[in-house]
Amino acid sequence: MTTTTRTIPVNRDVQAHRKQQAAEQRDAFTRRGTFVVNLVSSPGAGKTSLLEATARYWGNSRRMAVLVGDLATERDAERLRPYVPVEQLTTGGACHLELSLIQQGLQRLPDDDYEFLFIENIGNLVCPASHDLAEHLRVALLSTTEGDDKPGKYPKMFRTSQAIVVSKTDLLPHVPFSVDAAVADARQIQPDLAAFSVCASTGEGIADWCRYLDHERERLFGSHMAEQKVDRT
Amino acid sequence: MHEVSLVQSLLNQVERLREAHGGTTVTRIEVEIGPLSGVEPVLVREAFDLLVADSDWPAAELVIDEVPLSARCKQCDATFNIESFRFECPQCGSRAVNVTRGDQFRLLNVTLETPQPMESPA
Repeated sequence: MTTTTRTIPVNRDVQAHRKQQAAEQRDAFTRRGTFVVNLVSSPGAGKTSLLEATARYWGNSRRMAVLVGDLATERDAERLRPYVPVEQLTTGGACHLELSLIQQGLQRLPDDDYEFLFIENIGNLVCPASHDLAEHLRVALLSTTEGDDKPGKYPKMFRTSQAIVVSKTDLLPHVPFSVDAAVADARQIQPDLAAFSVCASTGEGIADWCRYLDHERERLFGSHMAEQKVDRT
Repeated sequence: MHEVSLVQSLLNQVERLREAHGGTTVTRIEVEIGPLSGVEPVLVREAFDLLVADSDWPAAELVIDEVPLSARCKQCDATFNIESFRFECPQCGSRAVNVTRGDQFRLLNVTLETPQPMESPA
């Protein structure tokens, strides 16, 4: 028997199957009214602090839960546990979260009808940009100590995000960082980015950020949660 | 560095294709990588060399087609390449553009060896 060579044309995204699974999981979240936010940043930008401040601001007025990813330790989950149901996802060295880890984490959360589910991604502005975790909203956090020239260096992350949050604004007097320059740089890559400035330790900007989350959820799911809103301003 | 995980997924897809088409081995895998595909060609090649050695077709060759980032303007419909991640239409200046190519890691073609049945005598 002789052999012959055949070229099979495929022309398909290597991640097509994963993207399809993410779309199905997103539909499942939407059906149960859970608005999912994927929070991405470099390590130490303040993702956990932003979530603590968000949980403190909302108190019991929103049903929220957190899945937090790290290479090792339960430290972030321990910080958030006083406020909200939280599950730590440890990747053991992987540089990003994948949908399968999110789905395992969901099984361990006590309920399945949260209004908001936050995914705190691994601190990394590169790999998480390529992984759809079934979120409705991707938010890139950038702290004032990192430099306002960073968005242009990580184009995929900012291109695939819907919002940029500048954190640690209390340090602005001490660091050469312009919020306007950082946001302008990010909007060169993604002109539709919403932009917020926050200081998690003083609470500055947290009200605007939380209003935005409510607004985005309502825009997507309708206004059936409007009566639960608490005006704290 | 998530290239290892994506290349492993690529190899799994190629193996399923080989099975589906009754190939005896895989000789060539052609992929497309663009500036926003989220993978680095150099790292994809390193990951491929590492992983293909453990596959059933260790001699398979990887061909990487590096493509530019292409877009279409939502305002004036112009098509153009994006340089230095400046998402702006060179025709009308609009920043409302859709990326049309260069934002994915794509499997283009797979070349297999398949058994050729003996010609039956006339």
